[in-house]
Amino acid sequence: MLDEQTRRILELARDEAEAFGHRYLGPEHVVLGMLRDPTGGAARLLRARGVDLDAARAALRRLAEQGIVPAPRPSDAELLGMLGIDLETVRRNAEQAFGAVALGRAIREATRARRGGVGRVPRTPLRGPPVFTVQALYHAGEHAKAKGRGQVNAELLLLGVVTDARSPWPRCMSNRWNRQLRTSVGLPAGYQGAAGPLLVALGVDLDELGDAVALELAGAER
Amino acid sequence: MREAASSEVTRVAAATSSQDPEVGLAAVAALRGLVEVLEAVQVEHARANGWSWQAIAARLGVTKQAVHQKYAGRRFGFRR
Repeated sequence: MLDEQTRRILELARDEAEAFGHRYLGPEHVVLGMLRDPTGGAARLLRARGVDLDAARAALRRLAEQGIVPAPRPSDAELLGMLGIDLETVRRNAEQAFGAVALGRAIREATRARRGGVGRVPRTPLRGPPVFTVQALYHAGEHAKAKGRGQVNAELLLLGVVTDARSPWPRCMSNRWNRQLRTSVGLPAGYQGAAGPLLVALGVDLDELGDAVALELAGAER
Repeated sequence: MREAASSEVTRVAAATSSQDPEVGLAAVAALRGLVEVLEAVQVEHARANGWSWQAIAARLGVTKQAVHQKYAGRRFGFRR
């Protein structure tokens, strides 16, 4: 579904989120991930519009000052460390005693929405940061399908991010459970991905960028 | 970049400690996230070893109904 370069971009996006002190992964980090990978077509398209990694990082910092994305916050491991608990030791011991499969099942059980809300937690330090790039990846996949491609490449991912930035998230993504998950990582209640505000702050015209990516993809087909 | 941001965060965390509600509450939330998973994994293990809800509840210090309501769902691999 995703080609190797796209997977690497998502890895780099995680890296950028963590470096920024963001405890979630959003489409705004995917934009930074694209810029981290200079060989990609997505990075080239962005650079042609005057967007580079340093400018994008600075723009994200400004978005944090405006409260569109959260300010840097300590990680779960750091917070637990302040309480004298070593997260990695807890994880290792639990995995050794019960196995990774049982632990994974327990993580899903503890974080699933329960009727009546008995003992539920929106997230746990034992699972990676929540991911809000689902819509962008969905759009990228739809574009790939429409163009008859089996795999999402970097350009299609960029097109997905731009489409996501221009369309509202479905209502199901702002149910009470998801809102609670978002506030737990410091995101504002109305957060729908910040790739749009990020690109606009960098002087990018989303419509023009979307058309340019589509054109590039059409050109590659011929 | 990564090291710089991370050490910055650590420094902030150390400087404010849990005197700052912002940090202290977040630490408690992280701890609760940990506890809920450890409880779930222990309860599943106990059930797999034939423990009754009654016995599990007694060890957890809650009522039988509380444990049952929380864990006797369909999704968790306890019983059909």
